[in-house]
Amino acid sequence: MTDQALLLPQEEKQFSLAKDAFIRLVANRLAVVGMVLVVFLFFVAIFGPYLTPYDFLSQDLLARNKPPSWEHWFGTDDLGRDILSRVIYGSRTAVIVGFSTVSFSLVIGLFLGALGGYFGGKVDAFIVWLIDITMSIPSLLLVIVINVSLKPPLVNWMDAQFVATGNEFYRNTIWVDFVLVFGSLALIKWPKAARIIRGQILSIRNKNYVVAAEALGVPTSKIVRRYVIPNAIGPIIVYISAALGEAMVLESSFSFLGVGVRPPIPSWGNMISDGLRIWQLYPHVLAAPAAVLAVVTIAFSFLGDGLNDALNPRQWK
Amino acid sequence: MAKLLEVNNLHTRFKVRNGYLHAVNGVSFSLDKGEMLGVVGESGCGKSVSMMSLIRLLPPAAQITEGEVLLDGEDITHASVSRVNAIRGSKVGMIFQDPMTSLNPFMKIGDQLIEGIVYHKKITKADALQQAAKYLKMVGISNAEHRLNEYPHQLSGGMRQRVMIAMALLNEPSLVIADEPTTALDVTIQAQIVELVKSLREKLNMSIIWITHDLSLLAGMVDRIMVMYGGYVVEEAVLDDIYKSPLHPYTIGLLKSIPSLKTEAGSRLPSIPGAPPNLFSQPTGCPFAPRCTYRVDRCQSEVPALTAVPGETGERPHRVACWVDMRGKGVKQ
Repeated sequence: MTDQALLLPQEEKQFSLAKDAFIRLVANRLAVVGMVLVVFLFFVAIFGPYLTPYDFLSQDLLARNKPPSWEHWFGTDDLGRDILSRVIYGSRTAVIVGFSTVSFSLVIGLFLGALGGYFGGKVDAFIVWLIDITMSIPSLLLVIVINVSLKPPLVNWMDAQFVATGNEFYRNTIWVDFVLVFGSLALIKWPKAARIIRGQILSIRNKNYVVAAEALGVPTSKIVRRYVIPNAIGPIIVYISAALGEAMVLESSFSFLGVGVRPPIPSWGNMISDGLRIWQLYPHVLAAPAAVLAVVTIAFSFLGDGLNDALNPRQWK
Repeated sequence: MAKLLEVNNLHTRFKVRNGYLHAVNGVSFSLDKGEMLGVVGESGCGKSVSMMSLIRLLPPAAQITEGEVLLDGEDITHASVSRVNAIRGSKVGMIFQDPMTSLNPFMKIGDQLIEGIVYHKKITKADALQQAAKYLKMVGISNAEHRLNEYPHQLSGGMRQRVMIAMALLNEPSLVIADEPTTALDVTIQAQIVELVKSLREKLNMSIIWITHDLSLLAGMVDRIMVMYGGYVVEEAVLDDIYKSPLHPYTIGLLKSIPSLKTEAGSRLPSIPGAPPNLFSQPTGCPFAPRCTYRVDRCQSEVPALTAVPGETGERPHRVACWVDMRGKGVKQ
């Protein structure tokens, strides 16, 4: 046996797991559709102010409820505002809410879940109890309660501060919606992430391949990096994708019900709510935000499915 | 022959909710260079835990309370964690029971094989992969270079076990501990793996500890057999002595329980009545006494010590822990 014969054949390239997964993801057509749409959504959300043909607030009362045309691609609403511009700004609202909710819930969830899974025993029992309690809180009810109990006093206090000090900081109360409503959403959405990471760590810690690596004398830091994290990360990435979509839909639902982002800040939810009042006469007012919301939801679920398959080598053919 | 491994009075226990579970109770044995030892016993008799204790590969709840393990004269039980890691990676190889779950599904065979040597031998990845391919060929995997680039799920159970064996051998260890390596495989593959290990042993001159609950598997493979029960070594002798003149009632029962082709259809298969002992409480007498048909009064009050008697074949002594002298059928004093 010569050394030459042992060399790896040239045509067989070594790919990392991430690259392998990406190749698999791209091979899945629906996932690519989802990915393109999601990337497009983020692009629109980030560069929104440069893309909107009109100011999303400017009203043209002579051109109310106009159907789609070259001047207004998605038409105008009942105050003569350009619907395309409002949909674009609505995507900003959705993405901000989606990201803040998911990242907050992820940070809390990962921390508590990993803590429970790693230490076990009483710590774990307490965290599981906390998860159960939190999951029993209905999110809609919580958001409504916060809306009626915490938000008005805070907004009033800020108004008073503005009058008293003249500080511009207190003038804009819109971000209070974001922080209060969706901060509270994050506070009750973390259990799902916590449960995922806890289960992952619990099962992987006792897996035979971790023991096998220990038997080879692989150091702990390397075991965590090469064995525990790759095996745990798949479900987390899938969770992020699914949770982003879910959070955006939740934001729309709350705004639709009037407990989310307040007009005139556009959200797909409050636009759908507006359109619903006049849809028999002007269906385009409802159609645009509803269609965008539907497409975004489907895109995230395609992407999530594709990621799930791509990140799991056991499902590869 | 030179001694490779010496284990003296090893005790391992697990901390559980209501106290301690005594899994290993004073195990002592030694292993020569190039020797192959079979460790036999029922499930839960402490055979895996005692062998895992050798390289301190134990769950956090377990602790070695007493005894020492000397590998090449170096005490492993009191070595630092980093030293134990180094020993695991260079002197001792492990082959695990279940090849289906013992490979990381997220790592390629090649990456996983070389994990240990890249870290411990400080060689380049390319060199390590060449080495890995060489060992894959040695364990009988065709198209080895291609397999390096595959994931565990793309291999069959027998092939995965071969990969596990290659992984254990890659460090060129002087001692290989095989923990029921054929239990999860079907009988034909089992025979192949046994043959493979036998040939590799001759080729590489390693010492092997083969843990199993299947006494018949060890015939024609190992040099010596050690029988464990309830965390104790109850008998230890060269292969022929164990098969031809077993001295412990438990070993006799185990040998009788092997169904043979002569067993008549419809007849009951022989078995040892009762179940392995509860390891929570340490027995006052012989752990096997409750199930033993040769039991005498002394068995329930005193734990018999492992004592050497002359072996029937060869000069190696036959060690047995029993109050009854099975050769003369009298009670020992």
